[in-house]
Amino acid sequence: MQGVARSGGPDHESATDDLALVARFLRGRSEDAFRALYRAHTPALYALALRLTGGDRAEAEDLVQETWVRALTGLRTFRAQSALRSWLCGVLVNVRRGRIRADWRVVDVPDVEPIAMSPRHDDAIDIERAIAALPEGARDVYVLHDVQGYTHREIAELLGIVEGTSKSQLNRARSLLRISLP
Amino acid sequence: MTTLPRETQPDPALEERVVSNLVAAGLVRPRHGVPRLWLATAAVVVLAVGVTIFERRPTLAPGNAYVVLLYEDSTYRPAPAGRNDERVAVLARWADSLGAVGKFERAARLSGPGPLGGLFIIRATDDADAARIAAGCPFHQWGGRVELKRVEK
Repeated sequence: MQGVARSGGPDHESATDDLALVARFLRGRSEDAFRALYRAHTPALYALALRLTGGDRAEAEDLVQETWVRALTGLRTFRAQSALRSWLCGVLVNVRRGRIRADWRVVDVPDVEPIAMSPRHDDAIDIERAIAALPEGARDVYVLHDVQGYTHREIAELLGIVEGTSKSQLNRARSLLRISLP
Repeated sequence: MTTLPRETQPDPALEERVVSNLVAAGLVRPRHGVPRLWLATAAVVVLAVGVTIFERRPTLAPGNAYVVLLYEDSTYRPAPAGRNDERVAVLARWADSLGAVGKFERAARLSGPGPLGGLFIIRATDDADAARIAAGCPFHQWGGRVELKRVEK
């Protein structure tokens, strides 16, 4: 199967900048300060949202919007010991999972084996499609672990599952991807 | 080995939508006041999506789900032209205060014939709790009628 490279954990490198941006925003909640935060972190949030929604752009944008609302509502609870990006990604994951629980139009379906991908020349597109076809639980764990760089412990906390479940879902996702990718 | 991008640039219009929603919700202070046209646009956007920015909280309090129905019937006093955004912001802040304690699930603006103009789905520990919450809905202050229904499990 295709491996997925990632570089370190989910935290990006400018934690000091983040603290300064947060402090600047909290001083006056100004639009300019918010836009700086938005531009620093939205591309990562959007990438995560796209993967968690299987590439649904409208749903991903909606998730990003609600994530910022919730993040700003609770920004004072953000503590410097976790990186802002990790914290924001956690907010997004929880917004997404809350929607699944609360939206009666979204129902749990039995796990479905992914459809074999047709041969393509672009490996990255193949992988994105294969990830989108994963069962939801396995996809969440795979994206958070292998793409975003979260540890099983962090994933367990974010998703409200035990670490063993996170590990088994990851193994399952990897097995399914091995089947669906050339 | 294939590296998947961990960042994807969204449509630039998303930034404006996010900012306008946050301004309308009172979470971000606009640069130089808010031009009336911009406010009107934000209001239309927010109304069109049915206060979606405040939908569906992830951590819900235990208890029952209730539907709070908002009727714009004969006693209802509509907002002056161009000032719907203020009402949306008031309702959004109310929803947010419920969401902070896990008692808000979602909201929707409804269209179509009849006076039913919108709804909230909330969570409450029991009927009395739900009645207290519904009584505090700011929709009352504009003469709107608020009806409460428990969702059967």
